[in-house]
Amino acid sequence: MAHPVSPAPGLVNLFRVEDVINMARANSLWPLTFGLACCAIELMAGGAARFDLDRFGAGVFRPSPRQADLMIVAGTISRKMVPCIKTLYDQMPAPKYVIALGGCATAGGPFKYPGQYGILEGLDKIIPVHVYIPGCPPRPEALIAGILELQKLIKAGKTEGSLSPAVVNDSQNNRPAEYKNAISRAEFRKPPAPPVAPVAPQA
Amino acid sequence: MILNEILKIILYGTLVILFVSVNALFLVWMERRVSARIQLRRGPIHVGWQGLLQTVADAIKLLTKELVTPSHADKFLYWLAPVLVFAPAVAAFLILPLADHVVIRDLNIGFLFVFSLTNVSFIGIFIAGWSSNSKYALLGSMRAVAQNISYEIPLLLSTMGVVMMSETLKLSGIVSAQATTWFVFPQFLAFVIFIISALAEANRAPFDIPEAESELVAGFHTEYSGMRFALFFLGEYTAVFISSAIAAALFLGGWREPAVPWISLANLGPLWYLLKTYAIVFVVMWIRWTFPRLRSDQLMALAWKVLIPLALLNVFFTALMMQVFEK
Amino acid sequence: MIATEKDMKDWLIEVIKPEEMNDRDFLKTGVFFEAVVPKNKIVEVAREFLTQGYFLESLTAVDFAECFEIVYHFNRWDLPKRACVKVVAAKETNGIDGGAGVMPTISSIYQSADWFEREIFEFFGARFDGHPNLKRLLLPENYRSFPLLKSFKGEAAGSDVTQSLELIKEYAHEFEVKTPHSITKKENDYYLNLGPQHPSTHGVLRVLLHLSGERVLGAEPIIGYSHRHHEKMMEIQNYLACWPNFGRLDYVGAMSYNFGYARLIERAMGLTPSPRVEHIRVLTSELNHIASHLLWMGTFLLDLGAFTPFFYCFDDRENILDILEMATGERLTYDYFRFGGLDRDIPTEIIPAVKKFIPGFKKRLKDYHTLVTKNPIFEQRTKGLGILTKENALKFGVTGPTLRASGVAMDLRRQESYSIYPELDFNIPTATDGDVFSRYLVRVREMEESLKIIQQVCERMPASGEVKMKVPKNVPKGEYYSAVESARGSFGIYLVSDGTLNPYRIKLRTPSFSNLSALKTMVPGCLVSDVIAILGSIDIVLPEIDR
Repeated sequence: MAHPVSPAPGLVNLFRVEDVINMARANSLWPLTFGLACCAIELMAGGAARFDLDRFGAGVFRPSPRQADLMIVAGTISRKMVPCIKTLYDQMPAPKYVIALGGCATAGGPFKYPGQYGILEGLDKIIPVHVYIPGCPPRPEALIAGILELQKLIKAGKTEGSLSPAVVNDSQNNRPAEYKNAISRAEFRKPPAPPVAPVAPQA
Repeated sequence: MILNEILKIILYGTLVILFVSVNALFLVWMERRVSARIQLRRGPIHVGWQGLLQTVADAIKLLTKELVTPSHADKFLYWLAPVLVFAPAVAAFLILPLADHVVIRDLNIGFLFVFSLTNVSFIGIFIAGWSSNSKYALLGSMRAVAQNISYEIPLLLSTMGVVMMSETLKLSGIVSAQATTWFVFPQFLAFVIFIISALAEANRAPFDIPEAESELVAGFHTEYSGMRFALFFLGEYTAVFISSAIAAALFLGGWREPAVPWISLANLGPLWYLLKTYAIVFVVMWIRWTFPRLRSDQLMALAWKVLIPLALLNVFFTALMMQVFEK
Repeated sequence: MIATEKDMKDWLIEVIKPEEMNDRDFLKTGVFFEAVVPKNKIVEVAREFLTQGYFLESLTAVDFAECFEIVYHFNRWDLPKRACVKVVAAKETNGIDGGAGVMPTISSIYQSADWFEREIFEFFGARFDGHPNLKRLLLPENYRSFPLLKSFKGEAAGSDVTQSLELIKEYAHEFEVKTPHSITKKENDYYLNLGPQHPSTHGVLRVLLHLSGERVLGAEPIIGYSHRHHEKMMEIQNYLACWPNFGRLDYVGAMSYNFGYARLIERAMGLTPSPRVEHIRVLTSELNHIASHLLWMGTFLLDLGAFTPFFYCFDDRENILDILEMATGERLTYDYFRFGGLDRDIPTEIIPAVKKFIPGFKKRLKDYHTLVTKNPIFEQRTKGLGILTKENALKFGVTGPTLRASGVAMDLRRQESYSIYPELDFNIPTATDGDVFSRYLVRVREMEESLKIIQQVCERMPASGEVKMKVPKNVPKGEYYSAVESARGSFGIYLVSDGTLNPYRIKLRTPSFSNLSALKTMVPGCLVSDVIAILGSIDIVLPEIDR
């Protein structure tokens, strides 16, 4: 990765325009209201009075993806939801940032097990993610830490994303599913055998 | 002469644009801090001293955002709508009297000029929803049409009492006529009706049904991004400011200082005017964060069945009183 | 004529002549009797149950090796009279691989069966003859497998990038608007998708609105965007490992779900927790109840356009979450209860903290009444809107505050008298109008009643007691049903246990599922803004519907 080029030292140090714009973008993140499951409640709590995301400029939640620049995906991504997320991501104008909030959006969370059929194991399999916030659900303080981390990334200009999932070769996926087979109904409904009377020891 | 005029136009134009920008920046910051305090939290405090640079950051971010045009939108109208919404609000600054004989252009039709211009703004809102080619945007526009048409009438009717009492439409004349008492006292009902109608004209809560966030995603500006969205935003705040400024001129005595013996700073005209305007803006923001939203049919029932009859009654009563006291 | 369970049993024996009729111990299994009826008689049975005032509590299927069991649970509003009716369906050999054959539908009698039967179709392959709209409910329409069959061994959806990007193409056409089955299109009508990403749908719900101008002609909820395969997952986990699932089903009211699961297994195994455990359970449950209602109120008022109460409600809720965090270590998705006891005892600071919280919250409730309940704009927006009649409530199996607002005083805490609720003094608030305003009032009053309960529990909390218990390793073989009252209604679990370490089949009967299916009766004739208000007043949590 190329290292950022620092301006030549001189008598007067002026900010480069890029730095100003990046600082502005970092301090004015407008999230998209997009909560999927349990983590959405912590996202709402993060925007509410006690934790107040608005202090960092990130409190203006816009309902339309055209006006938002931060997509915080909070919750498990089910099969049906996958095309929705991609559509919403495509509708957001550049520059856009993505935070994966919670274990489910990071890598499937507690719903990932060998034999699962319903969820996408991690958001980074379909869109590039900038910050992962683990937890089930993560506390609002963790969300604030994630947003501050994203602000650092933006100010440093390191936000080019590409699809490189965090979890690639997962040993979980190679294990066979341990589902049991069906049992017979007749067997199931047979009353339990009466307790066998203890056999008197042979003399 | 012509050169003089052109120079004046450029100078005043620049001053107005500067003022509008700084004012909008300040108003957005004020809204966020006022709403935060009402909602038990702090609001933006980290960006600049007390968060004053927050709106600057927002503005720079919006300026550098990608401009997206939806695929089947009507391109010319889609481009035109934000301009139509923002420009008339700026033009309204022409007639505001800042002090005795200090006004850019003292038009003899006064505030009627402003309200005609805000109708152009409203056409912009309608075009925005129509040209976006999106169902949510269209629903928002249709609501805006109904709402703005309904509230034009009580807005103007409520000012008729003031006009009758000062016998002129010129804003400077109306302010001069308030030398003895401000019109808010004899015309209190008109003042209330004017504020409510102005809220509805500016699409502010509890009348923000065209951009009802929880119902229509983002209403008529769902498909707008970046600077175009910023223009809608700016237009809304400038409209609020203009309505408050006109209310302050019509009812609160404009640049006149309050007639109490211990205040005699007569030369601070513009400052008094600004103070009164911001007081009304603060009340407008307070109202926004206190009440739930009215549904569109209830909103129109309010205009047609309550505000218009009351405003007519006010006009009639004012006329009666003027006849009685003239004798 | 009010039928008792004896009459229904007698009627079944005389008229229907079931294949099997077994009495069951209500305290252990949650039903009074279990009847196996032939396939062609089930419609008649359903009709008689409806006439006698029973509602369809749950409808599910169990996959055995040689056949299927379709299990119907009926219950009443006034007395606990749960009855279990089963139909044994043979497996089809030529149709779907191992899937069930064709069954008659009861959705013309009980409208709630509409969604239950669709779910059985999509998870087991059973087809219901005469069903108006037999399509998949929780999974994408073109999904090919039937997950809850025992022969289904899993199919990882998004385990690598290429597969995941394929999913996008595969399901992209889901959003084409097709004419819903119940709506006939006229000249100037159009369809509007509310969701799945929408500020007011409380999670990922999609409602397909059929509109004429702004008048709503019909609404059809489309669910499944939050399906997290809880039921299949529990078949592979042992009973202890299932606890975190219950915390994540209804994450705002997770304590009641803990309560339901604990009650189920304790009844099955015959365990009695100590009085201290019962008191702590009720205390945490009622605190969670209030927190859930506060969250509902904040988001409901946000939908109506009042931005500020959201912050005040969340502030109160944070105070409650502080107390619950002291006890459990978690803020949101609790798994605090264990079989026969709790995960850990509560620290001594809790009771003083609760006693400090109560007067502050009482004052806040007064503020809410002044600023919201008596607000004329609020009254105008909510009175007379979205009326749910008692007949519809019965047919759709609605429970909880939504039912109580229509005038029916059904609350499982009173009806089934579990834990220490019989010893506590509290009322069941009801309202008669059945509109949005009544539902709001019922929930606010419920918060006051919960406060009363909490006060009493704090005073009578036993000073010491065992919070853990030694329990048997396996749940005895059998079928059990247990229900508790959660913040949204009656939450029931149906467990088929084969005596091993894992459940054979768990069916989660969640209240929001049936409550949401009643949306289409409350909506016609109102405006788009009203749909949002009505949807908010039902108080749904999507992951609980989608499981």
